[in-house]
Amino acid sequence: MRVLVSWLREFIPAPDDPDGGSSADLLADIDALAAGLTMRGFEVGAVEPRPVAGGSAPDAVLDIEVTTNRPDCLSVRGIAREVGTMYGADVRMPDLAATEVSTGDHAFALTIDDPDLCRRYVGALADVEVGPSPRWLTDRLEAAGIRPINNVVDVTNYVMIELGHPLHAFDHARLAGPAIVVRRAAPGERIRTLDGVERPLDSAVLTIADAERPQAVAGIMGGADAEVSAGTRTILLEAAWFNPISVRRTSKRLTLATDASFRFERGADVSAPVTAIARARRLLVEIGAGQPRGAIVDGYPAPPDPIVVRLRHRRIGHLLGQDVDSGFVAPTLTRLGFTVEPQTDPDGLAWQVTTPSFRVDVRREEDLIEEVARHHGYDRLPETFPALTQPPPAEAGWRRRDRTARQVLTGCGFSEAITYGFVERAAALALHPDEADLVPLANPLSEKGAVLRPSLLPGLVDSLIHNRRRERQDIRLFELGSRFRQREGETPALALALTGAAVGRHWSGGDRKADLFDLTGVVTRLCAGFGGTAAFAPATAEALVPGRTARVTLTLGGVTTDLGLAGQLDPALARRRGLPGSDPVHVAELDLRALSLQVFDHLRAAPVPRHPSVTRDLSIEVDDALPAAQVRGTIRAAGGATLAGISEVDRYQGKGVASGAVSLSLRLIFRAADRTLTDSEVRTATDRIVSALEQAHHAKLR
Amino acid sequence: MTAQTDIDTIRHAFQADLAAVETAHDLQTVRDRYLGRKQGAIAALMQSLAGARPSERPALGKGANTLKREIDQAIGARGAALASAARPAGAVDVTLPGRDLPFGRRHPLTLIREQVESIFEAMGFEILQGPQVEDDYHNFEALNMPPDHPARDMQDTFYLDGPMPGGGAAAAPATLLRTHTSGMQIRYMESHEPPVRIIAPGLVYRRDTPDLTHSPMFMQVEGLLVGEGITMADLKGTLVSFLQTFFDPGTRVMFRPSFFPYTEPSAEVFINCVFCDGSGCAVCKQTGWLEILGCGMVHPAVFEAVGYDPERYTGWAFGLGIDRVALLKYRVEDIRLFYDNDLRLLEQFPL
Repeated sequence: MRVLVSWLREFIPAPDDPDGGSSADLLADIDALAAGLTMRGFEVGAVEPRPVAGGSAPDAVLDIEVTTNRPDCLSVRGIAREVGTMYGADVRMPDLAATEVSTGDHAFALTIDDPDLCRRYVGALADVEVGPSPRWLTDRLEAAGIRPINNVVDVTNYVMIELGHPLHAFDHARLAGPAIVVRRAAPGERIRTLDGVERPLDSAVLTIADAERPQAVAGIMGGADAEVSAGTRTILLEAAWFNPISVRRTSKRLTLATDASFRFERGADVSAPVTAIARARRLLVEIGAGQPRGAIVDGYPAPPDPIVVRLRHRRIGHLLGQDVDSGFVAPTLTRLGFTVEPQTDPDGLAWQVTTPSFRVDVRREEDLIEEVARHHGYDRLPETFPALTQPPPAEAGWRRRDRTARQVLTGCGFSEAITYGFVERAAALALHPDEADLVPLANPLSEKGAVLRPSLLPGLVDSLIHNRRRERQDIRLFELGSRFRQREGETPALALALTGAAVGRHWSGGDRKADLFDLTGVVTRLCAGFGGTAAFAPATAEALVPGRTARVTLTLGGVTTDLGLAGQLDPALARRRGLPGSDPVHVAELDLRALSLQVFDHLRAAPVPRHPSVTRDLSIEVDDALPAAQVRGTIRAAGGATLAGISEVDRYQGKGVASGAVSLSLRLIFRAADRTLTDSEVRTATDRIVSALEQAHHAKLR
Repeated sequence: MTAQTDIDTIRHAFQADLAAVETAHDLQTVRDRYLGRKQGAIAALMQSLAGARPSERPALGKGANTLKREIDQAIGARGAALASAARPAGAVDVTLPGRDLPFGRRHPLTLIREQVESIFEAMGFEILQGPQVEDDYHNFEALNMPPDHPARDMQDTFYLDGPMPGGGAAAAPATLLRTHTSGMQIRYMESHEPPVRIIAPGLVYRRDTPDLTHSPMFMQVEGLLVGEGITMADLKGTLVSFLQTFFDPGTRVMFRPSFFPYTEPSAEVFINCVFCDGSGCAVCKQTGWLEILGCGMVHPAVFEAVGYDPERYTGWAFGLGIDRVALLKYRVEDIRLFYDNDLRLLEQFPL
């Protein structure tokens, strides 16, 4: 809202000027005025100085941000009320000629079909001579950001800026009847609006029609047919109250927003229409543009009762934390336009406050307390601390879980990414090829964010590629976040992506590209961080390379759950997403719900071993298609209670090993809690293991 | 002076010179001084023997040779000692770079979020997490934003094409991406009686065209405190303390009236501009102040929606943009950089 300070002055005469003439006294310091408004909730974003004639008071345009709850301040009058309250000055309303109001049917026939959508319709005629407006008027409109059109339209806009109520002028001669029918559009009806656009209408749209057809979209824009033009001799001025929701819906549907719809959808003042019309007709006379004809027709079938709110003095202090002088409360509210009556109340001092119809935002006591607080000054409220009245809560499990995951993964060299919750449909389908499981957005910003991500991987892979395309060879990223699927809903997940070196280049040599086992190693460490163990089984999955994909299961606290997948990303897919070079990318996505630190809640530390362990190495030759996990399983089953550990220390194929076979070297660790194991005990256990391996896998001891 | 005194003088001088040797170069200088073929002290001594009495000559010659041997051995021993001190057995060049064991970083938004969480945790707040897909009731209606409320324009919303399962067991189907984390506060109040002392951090979505300061997804933290006798002064005290802990103990804080449908009275909170320290610059549009969060006293309609008695309980709420705070704290110039996950940015932040 752009407000001219000199216009404001007309509403705020100097207190010492009995004639009520314009005075610079109160508004001379424009910066103080701007600061005062800002501190009362009307942020002045800019003060644009305006040239003034010598000796005149300084002038400027204040660019004021008006919050959506204060449509009354989308006007000079509304801002003047705030300024008057701020300076303790009375606000003077513009002079209105004695207005003759008729509820009968004089100048035109008025029918309001739908009083829910149009609570009040006020109209009046004026004979006009259309031409340009005087300079002072166009200057004020331009300062307010409105383009002058002709004296009639300019007067309607002037009144809207001054009093806040939108007006519309029809060319009376173009209205069939002449009649005004406020009704919903009939199916198939159309209107060409003032912007020249032909618009189809339907019954959701409230129109101002004449006896035959719609002549305006109510509260939004008039039609071109009855537009005021150079040849117009008589106008019908309209000021009405339209239902905010209806105006808002229609404005959105027609994608047509105007100064009028902006005000109506926030809530117009149902008491303002008569004043607005009277003001407009007086202005027409003042600028020599016309003469009123006939009485003002006021269609107001059911005026609402005013809203009365009880305000308790004690409640103000109770909410703000500081008592506000009762001598400040009533005058402040009165200047803002409320009617304030002291009241005897069992709770002490109170007021019965009647809300003026222009304050559509004030409904209850708290709203009035805000009015008092705004003008009292938030900066004057003390700073105190709320007492703790309950013990502080225990830390939530998800926070401990996420922190542990971040600790393990950053320790493994992975940096945390945060990617968007929506992705391209094709990218989503590439990793989660289940169209019906996707959650599309109704109004995405672009195709790049058409569906909610069913997996964290599309975004994480794109982030990896982003880095790979910027001179980074070695990249490790992880993300913790939600994924969204039709069937499962929103679930927390953890994703990993890895490419480049597992061991970086060093002068001593030993560099090595990362492979699947670097990734599964990280997953194993992650599970260990939660006190669990990870196991990997061959699997196939979309977008992962067959034979290099594993299903991950977690065993934690004696329970085994499916954790997700780990594997090499399909190189063709990676290339399609823009990955340069030939380094493989390895990815994993895990279900975070399975990870929990609960096992540590019941941790009872086991005694540290007091007896030495015995190590035995075993080399066997088995079929090279035999999964290592099965060999381990056989060993574990046969090893007995003293087998404390198994590790694969070598794997060899080639000279000396039959083709189709592989030589596995395994290190077995035996230990007993209560004694040092003897050679023969260990030999017995080892023999048992060897014969089990021979039986189960036709293993040959080497 | 006799030849015998020459021998003793040279021996003493040599012992002093040898003791002063620190480097191989020093040692070479000493060798040249005593054993040099032409200029060396021994060579000069040998020549001087020619002028000695014949009877003394054999004994002096023997003494001179002994001295020469002593010097030669002492220099050899010192040379070996110097060599072994310079490069002990198994020595390596310790100035070569060590092996890199790379560690990763938490995302800067995680860092900020955790800092905010720990400040409020110390003040007894519980930290909640809620769903990003929400139903209209929890995102808007229960917060005093009925359908078609113009305030909904302040939070332009991404809607789902069709409903999906919502968060929680008996939750309504989700129809939109949450525009703030307030829905979690509603859920909490629905299932807990006051006192309430919670913060809800998380990702939220608004249908804003991306630019330097807008991202369609960003991270927010909202706080809620409800109890008997909770005041706006408590809100001021708590937020000032938070901002001074988070930014700087000298941070100046300003509260200004504003409008949010779910608070009454409502306030916007500003801190002195971190770029110009309040003297006015392009970032703060010459005002010296930066808007940092929105807050206010919980609207009684919100309490009524969750079944709290607004006569008995009062409370306050606030909302803070983590991205915005991160931009200010770390002087990142473009909010979108947070979602590129460029390691050249991420690796600048502390562990």
